[in-house]
Parts: sequence; structure tokens; C-alpha cells
Amino acid sequence: MKKITNIFLTFALILPMLILSTGIKAQKQTDDLRKEQDTLKENVSTLRDKISGVEERIATAEGDLAKLTKIKLSGYIQAQYLHYEASNAYPDNVFMLRRVRIKFQYEPINGVVFVLQPDFVPGNITLKDAYVQLNDRWLKTFSLYAGKFNRPNYEVEYSSSSREVPERSRVIRAIYPDERATGAKLEIAPPKIPLKIQLAVFNGNDGLTIPDASGVNINPLNNDFDKHKDFMGRVTYTFKLGQIGALGIGAHGYYGKIKANTLDVLNSDYTLNRTNDNVGKLIKKNWVGFEAQLYFDFLGGLALKGEYIFGVNGTPGYSSKTTVVGPQVVSGGKNDTITLTTTTAITNNNRPAIERNFSGYYVYLIKNIGKHHQVAFRYDYYDPNTKLASDLIGVNSYNGNVAVKTTDKYTYAGTNPVVATNAQTKTEVKNSLTSGTSDIKYQTITLGYTYFFDDNIKIMLGYEIPMNKKIGVNSKGVGNVTTAYAVNGVPGVWDYSNSIKQNTLTVRLQVKF
Amino acid sequence: MKKLKTKIGMAAIVMIAVLGFAFMPAPKKITVKGSDTMVILAQKWAEVYMKSHPQAIVQVTGGGSGTGISALINGATDICNSSRPMKQSEMDKLKDRYASMGVEIRCAKDGITIFLNESNPVKELTVKQLSNIFSGKTRNWKEVGGPDQDIKLYGRENSSGTYVFFKDNVVKTDYAASCQTLPGTAAVVNAVSKDKYGIGYGGAAYAAGVKHCAVKKDDKSPSFVANAETVKSGQYPITRYLYMYLCNRPTGELKAYIDWILSPEGQKLVTDIGYFPVK
Repeated sequence: MKKITNIFLTFALILPMLILSTGIKAQKQTDDLRKEQDTLKENVSTLRDKISGVEERIATAEGDLAKLTKIKLSGYIQAQYLHYEASNAYPDNVFMLRRVRIKFQYEPINGVVFVLQPDFVPGNITLKDAYVQLNDRWLKTFSLYAGKFNRPNYEVEYSSSSREVPERSRVIRAIYPDERATGAKLEIAPPKIPLKIQLAVFNGNDGLTIPDASGVNINPLNNDFDKHKDFMGRVTYTFKLGQIGALGIGAHGYYGKIKANTLDVLNSDYTLNRTNDNVGKLIKKNWVGFEAQLYFDFLGGLALKGEYIFGVNGTPGYSSKTTVVGPQVVSGGKNDTITLTTTTAITNNNRPAIERNFSGYYVYLIKNIGKHHQVAFRYDYYDPNTKLASDLIGVNSYNGNVAVKTTDKYTYAGTNPVVATNAQTKTEVKNSLTSGTSDIKYQTITLGYTYFFDDNIKIMLGYEIPMNKKIGVNSKGVGNVTTAYAVNGVPGVWDYSNSIKQNTLTVRLQVKF
Repeated sequence: MKKLKTKIGMAAIVMIAVLGFAFMPAPKKITVKGSDTMVILAQKWAEVYMKSHPQAIVQVTGGGSGTGISALINGATDICNSSRPMKQSEMDKLKDRYASMGVEIRCAKDGITIFLNESNPVKELTVKQLSNIFSGKTRNWKEVGGPDQDIKLYGRENSSGTYVFFKDNVVKTDYAASCQTLPGTAAVVNAVSKDKYGIGYGGAAYAAGVKHCAVKKDDKSPSFVANAETVKSGQYPITRYLYMYLCNRPTGELKAYIDWILSPEGQKLVTDIGYFPVK
């Protein structure tokens, strides 16, 4: 019994201790768990904050990225080697950068596009394109352009980065110098009809070289200098020829005027059209063109493209006056005859403006061979003066010169001293224009081969063969048109009664992105 | 003149040599790139075709319709898959590069499906409501008969043809800035399946695990869910063709592959994948 009591007492003593110890342990474990829970909560909270921070950063980055996607950058570089076969070429071979362009396009909101395209050719950094384009968001048919952009013409709008031969045809280079013009344009292109209408208004003097009497271009910045604006319109339509290809046809017209800068305006054949116009009077720049492009799938792409343009292209003249006053010397005695030895020389240096009738056309034949090769042939013709036969170039001229005319002007008082004012005036009027190199017609054959190395790089080999129309010279040498030059100090002359070799070989590497 | 003739003669010889070189038989590998919407279908076509034509190699990649069209223009792919028609500007680039108008082949039909989370009580929406939702004008489900909760938008990247088609034909303005862009319709479906208040769009073939929202042309029209019948009949308002584009008319192995795709065997796979045949 005692044993049992002892066991019971021992158990009674141990049990509370055990319970206490277990309770302490459980309490400790609970505390530990609470601590862990608190730590976890803290960690979760920290992580949540971090995630929120990352989310915020991502949202900001996405916003910035979304803005960046509204900016598009593209551009191309054309590095080339040219070998000139002309006798007046010095140096006769050069490496050069033809184009170094980057195009920035920014579309802040749907339908509004800003375009800026500078050309970084060393020594001649210029702004080629700078315009705002507003696209109609509802019908997706109308676009309005304002600024400086390509004139609406097929070959002008066809980028030189895509062209199959090195340069544009001669007629296009002549009537659309620098390709771009400053003004506004409305483009109508319904999304489901292959029709495009372009209507544009420009200052009209972009890219023109208009020399003054001393040969200095008065139009270097292309700022408008007459109140008249030039208008252009172009319509194109494409017919699909099933899966064989397509035929695109179109027409464009140019209606413009430019300040004559002179009193006399000549006809295309160098006869006088009108004189004593107001100096501010305008001369015509009107022409129309018809174009067609046939694309035919024959063992790969085959294209036949052409355009014919004709009309009147006015070239402004100039009018300047120089006055040289000589010293006034009066000799003679009292109440005597006076002798005037002084002069005032006035020279009116004029060149009449001329409205030349012109025509020109070009035809391309292009064949793509596989994915990498392309061969092209172009024939182009440009007659800058259709009213003047070749044998009259150098012969027909306008001569409005007036020989030196002397006017004595003096006054004297009856008694001494004699006073002479503007004692004598000599007036000379130089006002002539003779047909010449700017009237010579050209035919040009251009051969091109392009190897498309990859998505961005292409190599072009081009050979241009310009052929001048030989002009007629009579037995007395009348009609001889020549251009004198000096190569490395050695004088030479181009005589246009012969064919003049002016061929150019081009090897061009183009990188586009 | 004699020299000129010699030069022209030499140029002609070079051209003939280049022509000869270019017409040498090409390897039989066909590359296909473009629409992510079409990538499963294109892979299926390739897989089945290669089984029956062991000599052919067809390589398929996605990237989006815009990416595919760029690849076609740059000569990086033989076939471009596109879930939208080629734009005029892209056609012009193709013309400039290949002197060709390209070849357009309609190979399947699709109904752009509107995906909703299965718990979303909204069952139908008009095209106008969809435009307002995806342009950000409508921001709460309450405005279209749903719960008082913000609408979460899921869409595609701008290189996607589905993105362009949906923008041009439904949204008709800019997408809302809050629209989360995802790479592929599968990612859109996945996002909507996990988001109670999400809405997305994409090709019909991917619409598993989410609810298809019926679409009404306008308030007065009946609503339709995209399925074979409604897409084929044109009752479902957001239907489109799926295209393949080539630079030139196909020849050789390429022609055989295209012909096979348009054959009953190829068109059967269109149905199997969840799209709709053109014939």
C-alpha cells in the first residue's frame, strides 16, 4: 500500500512538472510560430511592396515603350564609286557618298504623322523631307500633307533606294530638280479601290537655279519670290490582271508660272514673244504627263514602265543696270566754249526670259531573277526645245542689244564759271540670247544590275550612256556650239557637232534599315 | 558606236550568264513565316505534308503578319502567312523589290472570337460596345450589363494581323493604353481564363478554357457565336480570310505544296484545327 502511495506521490509530483514542462514547450513553440508568422507576414508585405514597385516600374516602362513605338526610324546610305568617261572629267574617278539619310517618323496619335528626313552627305547637309501628314480616321481615304515633300510624279516618288538604275531620267531631273517642293497636298486613296488622286500646291521655285547677271543663283534657299503658286495633280489607277500581274496607268499635270525677271520674253524658237512687260510679269511652266506600269509574272517579276511628258517650261532671265560716274572736268575760259571730258556710263545688262516647248519620255524594262538578282534597261529621251531643229541650235538667237547712245547734258551760266552736271551720259543695252547647249536633245541608255545581298544590303552596277543629238554647222561655222574646259591646266573643247562621250560607270553599295 | 555595241554585247552576255545561274534548280526547302494566329494551322499542314512527301522540307515560324510580310519583301521567306490583307504600302514595297504584284491565296476563314472569363455574366456585346471597350471609352462592366468592376483588356502586339484587323474593323480608333498586349492568341486566352473581369480577342482555333461572347452587328441584330455555320454564312459579324502571300506565281515544290493546302486534304486540316475552309 505504501508502495502504491509512493508511486502515486511520485507521479503526482512528476505529472505537474511534465505538464508544466510541456506547457512551457508548447508556449515556446507557439511563440516561435508567432514569430515565424510575423516574419513571414513581414516578408510577404515586403515582397508585396517590391512587386508593387516592380509593377509600377513596368507600367512606367510600358508607357515609355508605347511612346517609343510611335517613333519609327529608317534610312539608307549609298556609297559609290564613279568612273567618268567624259573628256572634261577631272578627276575621272571618285568615291563618294550619294545619300546618307535618316527618316524620323512620329505618330503621336492615330492619323497624325510627323516626318523629318535630313540628308547627311558630307559638306552638303540638307533637309529633304519635313512635313505633317493628317490621315482621315473615318473613311481612311483622305490625307493632307503640309511642308516639304516629293512632287507627285511616278519617278520622283520612286525612292532612289528602290530604283533599278543609278539616277532618274533626264527629263525628270530637268523639270523636277531636287524632287521635293514646299507646299500642301491632298491625297485621296479609297482603301478598297486601286485609285489615287493627288492635288498639290507649291511655291514653284524649289530646286531651280536662277542666275543673275553675274551668274550667281538668286534662288539658293528656295524662298518664294513671286506671288504665284504652282499647281500639280496626278491620278493613277491599277488594273489587276488576275494572278499574272497588274497594269497601272496614270496622268499628271503641272500648271505654274514664274517671275520673268526681265522685260522681254522669247518664244521657244528664240523669236520675240512680247516685250515691255512689267518686270513682275510671269512666264509659263505648264506640262502634262502620261504614265503606265505593267507588272507581269514571267518566271519571276517582269516590269515595263514608262512615262511621256510634254509642255512649256519657262526659264527666267535677268535685268540689271550698272552706272559708272567719271570725274567731271570742265575746261575753257570765261564766256567761252566748254569742253566736256567726263562721262556717266550706264549699262543695262539683260537676258530675256524664254518659254521653251519640251518633251521627254523614259521606258524601263526590269527583270527579277530569283530572289537576289535584278537586271534593268532604261531608254530615256529629252528634247528641251521641240520648236528648234538641231541644225538651228547655235543659229537662232534674239538680239535686242542697243548700241552705245551718247547724250550730252550740260548747263552753263552766261558768265563764269561754267557749271556742268552729268556732263555726258553713255547708255548701252545688252540684251541677247543665243540658242545653245540648253537646247540640245539627248537620248540616254542606262544598264543596271542589282544583287540583293540580304534584307538590308544591295550592290548595284550601273552604266549610263548619254548621247547628244549632233547639231548642224554651216560652211561658215555658224551654228557651232562649243563648251570650253580645262583639265589639269590643259584646255579642251566640247564641240556639239560631234557625239560627245559622257558615259558613267557606277558601282554602288547600299545599306538600308 | 562600235565601242558602244561591244559594251552592250558584253552587258548582254553578263545578263544571260546571270539568268542561267538564277534558273538553276533550287533546293526543296520551303520557308513559311508570319501570322501567329495561323501558326498552329501552318505547322499542321507542314507536318502532314512532310509525312506524305518525304522529299519536302517545310519550315514554319510565327512572329505576326506584319513580320511575315516584311520577311516576304526582304526575301527571307517563301510563303508569308497573314491574318489580314496586305496593305497598299506593303504591296508597293513588294512591287518595287520584285517587279511583281505578289500572289494572294485565301487559304482559310476565321471568325475573331471575343473571349470572356467563364464566370463573367455578360453573354453578348455589339460591335459598337466592343469598340468602346477596346478604345477605353467603356471602362466598367456595369455599362454593358455586367458587374460593377473595371474591365481588363487583353490584346495582341501591333505586328499581329489580328491586332490590325480588329483595330480596322472593330475598334476603328486607337486601342486603349490599358490594353495589355500579349504574344499570341494562346496567351490572350490564358490571361482571360485567369482574370474574372478580363476580355480578349483572337482566332477561333484557340478559344479553349474561356467563354465565347456572342456578337451583334448592332442593337437591332441578333447575336451570333463564332462557329462553322455562322462564320461561313457571314452571320457572325467579325469574320475574315486567312491568307498566304508569295512574291511570284509558285512553281515546282512550292506550287505542289500550295495546291495540296487548297486540296480537300489540306482544307480538312483547317476544320480540324478550328478554322473554316474556304471552299
